[in-house]
Amino acid sequence: MNVLVLGLSHHTAPVSLRERFAFAEHHIPATLAQLRESGLVSEAVILSTCNRVELYAATPLNESEAFVRLERFLAESRQHTDPIGAELYRLGEPDSLEHLFKVASGLDSMVLGETEILGQLKKAYDLALQHKHTGARLNKAFQKAFNVAKQIRTETNIQRGSISIASASVELAEKIFGSLDQRQVMVLGAGDTSEKAARALLSRGAKSILVSNRSYERAEELAGELGGRAIHFDQWASVFSDIDIVISSTSAPHYVLDRAKLAPLLSLRHNRPLLLIDIAVPRDIEPEVNFLENVYLYNVDDLQAIADSYLKQRREEVTECERIITQKAAELIAARKRET
Amino acid sequence: MFNDRILYALAVVFYGASMVYSVFLWRRGFRQDDRTNFGILLFGFALNTVALCKRGIYFDRCPVNNLYEAMVFLTWSLAGICNALNFSPKLRFVGVFTSPVLFSLGVFALMPSLDVKHGGHPNFANGPTSLHAALVILGYGAFGLASVAGLMFLTQENDLKRHKTRALLSLLPSIQKLEQTIGRLMIAGFTLLTAGLAVGALWVPLPEGKTFFGDLKVIWSAGLWLLYLVLMVLRWAFDQRGRRFAWGAVLGFAIIVLTFWGANLGSAIHHP
Repeated sequence: MNVLVLGLSHHTAPVSLRERFAFAEHHIPATLAQLRESGLVSEAVILSTCNRVELYAATPLNESEAFVRLERFLAESRQHTDPIGAELYRLGEPDSLEHLFKVASGLDSMVLGETEILGQLKKAYDLALQHKHTGARLNKAFQKAFNVAKQIRTETNIQRGSISIASASVELAEKIFGSLDQRQVMVLGAGDTSEKAARALLSRGAKSILVSNRSYERAEELAGELGGRAIHFDQWASVFSDIDIVISSTSAPHYVLDRAKLAPLLSLRHNRPLLLIDIAVPRDIEPEVNFLENVYLYNVDDLQAIADSYLKQRREEVTECERIITQKAAELIAARKRET
Repeated sequence: MFNDRILYALAVVFYGASMVYSVFLWRRGFRQDDRTNFGILLFGFALNTVALCKRGIYFDRCPVNNLYEAMVFLTWSLAGICNALNFSPKLRFVGVFTSPVLFSLGVFALMPSLDVKHGGHPNFANGPTSLHAALVILGYGAFGLASVAGLMFLTQENDLKRHKTRALLSLLPSIQKLEQTIGRLMIAGFTLLTAGLAVGALWVPLPEGKTFFGDLKVIWSAGLWLLYLVLMVLRWAFDQRGRRFAWGAVLGFAIIVLTFWGANLGSAIHHP
């Protein structure tokens, strides 16, 4: 009895097709029960996320027959009548196990190496386990997948580094300040990206957020969401002495902060380091301020370059990850053969 | 059985190996863990300790009788503090920056003219003198480590200023952590130096016919003490922090290394 995978993902299918095959969580146990009662499979797990819908199954049928019948079952259960071609992948061993390990490790994700999928996979497995739809085959396969994901995370750099502007901002702040505890953050301009960066800084322990925007109402709204305080736009310089990190994303057509304005404010801060993150286009902060001592200015291109560099580093790790996965899948199959 | 000089030479070989490995770590952008380097430095430190102990036991006193012994003691204290700091994951790579200093001091110490034979009346034959020399040299060791942390700060700060990705990819600590480390090591070094100088001034007997006043080493030591006092006052009272403070730590120790031998050779008390 082999482990099979039948599914579609962001690699093979557009969102319009993925959403038609997606399962609501509360429907999954009933579908798994129906699948097992049909005699098609003896064990099954359904993974349904925004990027993939996959059925992991252990079946007594031969592979080709199992795939035809499983595909029909899936189409009927989702009430899909159009023919499905290359959008659906059908994997038998060892490819199915290697695929499971890749999914668990984030190698098959849209954002290479991301960790959210591991949590989703664990949840999908737990759901099937609770309803007793798994057995020896899938239990061992999934436990091995979680172990492989852990090994890959610790032994390779596949999950290292920030590949979004928000997380790159956090990492920069940590390289300057170490811990972000007690750090005060100011958001100039209540844009979407600055909000994400501010949230990321808060999640890593930043003390508080001050929000300043031309529209005071919008500043109050965002400050309320972030648990911070709003400041009138013409008053932000007056609180600058307490600020450690500034995230600027106003829509001003000129510099909001230039060297002449910043230089006298630095002495009020006792020359403590200051991180300026300018994600506005056109830029809010004059590039010359980076020449001031203890001031570190990064604009949107600098942050994107950091994210790209990490992504490149992750891609370089893929070969090593695949080597580990191939080896572990072969070990699992060999161990099973020895047992039988 | 190896004599202490051969053991020390072996320790210097290990410090040299650590320096070569450090170049590799530097070229890798400090992205690889420093455990191998830590191991190499630990071996060097062990050999340095044995060499120091052998000589100390042989002469039955703290082995800081001539410039060679002072250098052995200095490298031992530097390597010791460095290995202690290496246990903190946040201060990884302190060994990478220390090993070139250790190797340079070690090679210099092994020059034959520095290890002059002890006469019938050793320079440091009593307890207070040994304590004076040991405290002062441990103080230099702390200043040396402060300069190493200063180099790490300047490297990391430069990478951050120039937006080099290495600043993020490397495993070097944050610049605020490094500045804090420089400050703590400088306070430790200053305390040890002050205590060492006080012991020397109050309890160490002067050779016959010699006086403190006008002695080159005494003037040099007082100047050094004042230099570090000024650096600390500038840092904590006048906010001269960051890059300036790091440069102060690096240049302060460079002055010690470059003038130490000259000050000793020109001193009637320390080089009679």
